[in-house]
Parts: sequence; C-alpha cells; structure tokens
Amino acid sequence: MDLLNQIIRQPVDPDYALAATAGSEPSRGRWKLGVLAMIIGALFAVAALQTTRAAPALQSERSELITRIQAAEREQDQLRSRVTSLTEEIATLRAAALGDDGAARSVESQIGLLDPVVGNAAVTGAGVLIVVDDSPSAAADARDRVLDIDLQVVVNGLWEAGAEAIAINGHRLSNLTAIRSAGDAITVDYRSLTRPYRVEAIGDVRTLQSRFVETSAGAWWNDLAQNRRMRYEISDVKQLDLAADPGIVLRHAGRAAS
Amino acid sequence: MIPLVGLLAGIVIGIVLEPSIPQVLQPYLPIAIVAAMDALFGAFRAYLEGTFTDRVFVVSFISNVLIAASIVYVGDQIGVGSQLATGVVVVLGIRIFTNAAAIRRALFHA
Repeated sequence: MDLLNQIIRQPVDPDYALAATAGSEPSRGRWKLGVLAMIIGALFAVAALQTTRAAPALQSERSELITRIQAAEREQDQLRSRVTSLTEEIATLRAAALGDDGAARSVESQIGLLDPVVGNAAVTGAGVLIVVDDSPSAAADARDRVLDIDLQVVVNGLWEAGAEAIAINGHRLSNLTAIRSAGDAITVDYRSLTRPYRVEAIGDVRTLQSRFVETSAGAWWNDLAQNRRMRYEISDVKQLDLAADPGIVLRHAGRAAS
Repeated sequence: MIPLVGLLAGIVIGIVLEPSIPQVLQPYLPIAIVAAMDALFGAFRAYLEGTFTDRVFVVSFISNVLIAASIVYVGDQIGVGSQLATGVVVVLGIRIFTNAAAIRRALFHA
C-alpha cells in the first residue's frame, strides 16, 4: 500500500518543484509547448478515429461471413436439386436411347435388376433391423463405445448373410460407401451419425437373421454385448423402406453397340 | 493560450490527415495517450501552483509516454502485456484523478 500512498501523495512530477526552487529562467520557448500540445491532440484524434473505425469493420466482417455461409447453403440446395433433375434426365435419356427392340429390353431388365443391388434405386421389403449403441459406461471407458469398425463388421456380416440392401440411420449403403470415424462421430458417406445406430437390411427374412448370427460379425457383436455391455438388438421387420444412395453418380457412359 | 490552440490544431490535423499508425505501434497508442493525459494534468496542476516549467513538462511528457509504452512492450514480449498495461493504467489513472481533484480545488475552491 505504500506504493499507492506515494502515488496519491506525490501525483505531480517533483521536478516541477525542483526547477521552481532552482529559479529556472522564465519560460521562453512557448512554441515547444505548442508543438507538444499539437502532438497530444493528434494522438487523441488518431486513437479515437481508429477505435471508431475498427468497430464497424469487425461487425461487417461478421455479417459478411454469415452471408457467405447462407449463400453457400443456398448453392448446395440448388446443386442438390440439380443432381436430382439430372439423374431423372439420365434415366429418360437412357430409356430413349435404348429404344424398343429385344436387346434394349434385356439391357433394361438388367438395369432394373442391378439398380436396387448397387443402391441406385429406392427399395422396400422385409428384412432385419439391428440396433446397436454405446454401453451405459461409455463415458468412463472409451473402449465401451461403438467404433467405426464395429459398424463395418455389422454391415459386412449382413452382406455375407445375404442382405440385398442396407442402410444405417437412413443412409443407404453402396459398394463405395465409407464408414469412418471423424472426431467423436462415426460418418457414413461423410455424414455424421447420431446414436443409437439403426442398421436396416432387406433380404430373405427366413434366413437373414439366423445366417447373420452365424457369421463372424454375429460372434463379434455377441462378444461386445456380453463383455462390454453394448446395446445389440436384432429383430425381423415386415416392411423396410430404404432410399437410394444419393452418392451414386454416373461415371462412364458410352453409345450402345447396335 | 498557445497550448490550447496547439491541442485543437493537433486534433484537427489528426482528423483531417488521418496519419496511419504502423501496425506494430498500434497496441501502445492507448497507453501512450493515458501517459500523455497524466503529463498534461500534472503540468496543469504545476501551472496553477506556479511551478510550471516548459523544460520539465517536455521531458516528463516524452519520458512518460516512452516508459509506459516500453513497459507494455516488454510485457508483451514476456507474455504479461495486458497485466502490465492494466498496472500502468491503474497507476496513471490514480495520478490523473488526484491531479484533477487538486486542479478542481485550486480553480473552484471546492
């Protein structure tokens, strides 16, 4: 507190008193004072200008970013609708190009057969639903959480058991779909999932579940459910609706040999 | 009279010319201004007490501004810049208040 006391007791430079007692010459160079006062005034003005200038700049930067985000979102929506319309156009063009002879009809039937299998067409049918989730103690132990490899195992087991179409949390899987971890979330087709994970698979209801349980995936998940107490429920479902995979694009097109 | 005219002229010059402060010096401008205010109030009080001298004022102003800015600069280099700036503002603020109170007493006898 001594320091503060001293500051309060002696707020003026002691030099003023010293110079006064020493009887220094009466002020001659008044211009020095004027110049200094000018510098001080300029300092004030510049600082005030800069502060007032900076505030709207920050605000405009922020709103600029917001408008850019909104524009990008709008553009994404437009591109998505364009993808949908172009896909429809491709289908019509293909039908028109194929014509109506016997070879074309066989190609068309082949397309109709393959589209649902590769995930290019929405499908409905009976199948199984597998619901998996982290164990209740996942917060304490990271090993009690469902990992990307666990979901990969489920999906591969379902393909092995004869599933014809699979979707995770509504995201249809194709041969090219990636199931990966990104940060804390598992992503399917680079879109993150929220727990619990619902894996829907369309296939032969009579054999799909029993065959899945017999695969290595079934053993894997039995182990996780028993030793890690993860949620693992498998059930038959009469009606499943799986949308087409929007990630499938036309990569190669050629004129049909006629 | 001359200082007052100079002050006004400086403000006008600052607003009209808008000299741009180098980016490096910008953080130290507010501290320099607080130091300048301290020197101004001290000078005015000394003037009222009849002990004012140009030379002391010029020297005290320049050294105040430079020391305040360099304290903050050193603080920035070692990672306590904002704390030291707070310290400078507190000390100079106390001085400004005390001087302003003394000026008020001398001018209005209240």
